[in-house]
Amino acid sequence: MTTTAIDQGLGADLAADLAATALALARRFFAGATMWSLAPSWQPHAQHIAVEFVHPVIVGKRALPAVALTGPDLVDVVRVSVRPGDIVIGVAGADDRDVGSVMRRSPAWGVTTIWIGSGPRPDAGAADHVLWLDDPDPRVPATGRFVLLYHLLWELTHVCFEHPGLLKPAAECSDEVCVTCSDEGRLGEVLAASAQGSARVRTAQGVEDVATTLVDPVAAGDLVLVHAGMAIGRADEVDDS
Amino acid sequence: MSQESATGAQQEPTNFLYPFIDSQEDDPTSLLGDLATSARAKAAESFELRRTTLESNAELVVAAAAEMARRFAAGGRLFAFGNGGSSTDSTTLAMLFARPPIGSPLPAWSLTTDQAILTALGNDVGFELVFSRQLIARAKDGDIAVAMSTSGNSPDLVTALREAKHRGMYTVGFAGYQGGAFAASPDVDACFVVRSQSVHRIQEAQGLLGYRLWSTVHEQLADAS
Repeated sequence: MTTTAIDQGLGADLAADLAATALALARRFFAGATMWSLAPSWQPHAQHIAVEFVHPVIVGKRALPAVALTGPDLVDVVRVSVRPGDIVIGVAGADDRDVGSVMRRSPAWGVTTIWIGSGPRPDAGAADHVLWLDDPDPRVPATGRFVLLYHLLWELTHVCFEHPGLLKPAAECSDEVCVTCSDEGRLGEVLAASAQGSARVRTAQGVEDVATTLVDPVAAGDLVLVHAGMAIGRADEVDDS
Repeated sequence: MSQESATGAQQEPTNFLYPFIDSQEDDPTSLLGDLATSARAKAAESFELRRTTLESNAELVVAAAAEMARRFAAGGRLFAFGNGGSSTDSTTLAMLFARPPIGSPLPAWSLTTDQAILTALGNDVGFELVFSRQLIARAKDGDIAVAMSTSGNSPDLVTALREAKHRGMYTVGFAGYQGGAFAASPDVDACFVVRSQSVHRIQEAQGLLGYRLWSTVHEQLADAS
């Protein structure tokens, strides 16, 4: 008989990934984030994640804002839903076009990303946190193993809430060449086609008008790198949307 | 369920136990180590429960799969349902039957996917009837009902299983703890009990049991043809 075997426990790497993800998640929630879950091929996982956080099975644990996003045009639905500081958690294979597109765009939306899946891994850096089962069997999503992963994520996140000292925002970064804080090419998503060498662009810091002469023409949905009020390059070569 | 703000960490019920230490804690290294250790311990617990659950339910899986395979072969269909997280797990199982990544599809649906029907029934006739009324409308003698629950006591599921049995369906119940009302009910033909006190661990084991039930149905269908 073909078996998707019971996993042989949780490896040290995945356990460490789960721990880091839970702390990041608790910090974002503590700062007021909403978590948006998506699972295009196995939609019930998105809904299980949302109900887990909104209506905990353990009485006394706080309800946290989590919403499953389902149905067609998922990238558009996520785009209109998320706010800077939010979290997107996708459950999907590495080849899922919608989830891949959402993960690529998330830095422009100021969103922290978590990607749960199995089989071949997504490229390094495809999401902020990757929780992965390397088992190539395509039936893994229906064996309860993903359920274990997001149950653990929920449990660990609530442990983090018992350590409020660790949930405070990190001290302001004063490093002048820090990529996060300086203006060294932030990812932006074009909101409307450029006109007269300028376009409205959404970045993690909000919506701004950006000079596009170096990258024209750009259209709505294109990803660009923004530096000092100018789009200095395109970032959507691999985008398949 | 409380709707307190996510920033209300100072109201965490266990906080009074360590009023000073927590708010001054600033190095996450030790917490991250504890979290990873805890994750591995819980995963090991889940693994052990899944292993013993498959073992103790092995004969029942074969018997239930044989009856389900007979019914599918004769044109029977499967309806799955549950509440909350168990509703999503029952939907996953229905999807595995209807659109398996490997193998042939069998007719199966989740009864929680249509919000219009759920809210119409919940509002007009009461939540206890949200699944049984759908079975009255759709199910026939020869079909299969699968109810997933951790308590085994949910009134809407108990009611639906009674209706299912009355209509000549083969009834499969998934429960946790000691099996709850499902275990004692004459309306449940096959009751799979995951003997744990943890809702999370129960659901994880039920996921694997459902998967095993699906794969055994396909073995039985292959043997019969």
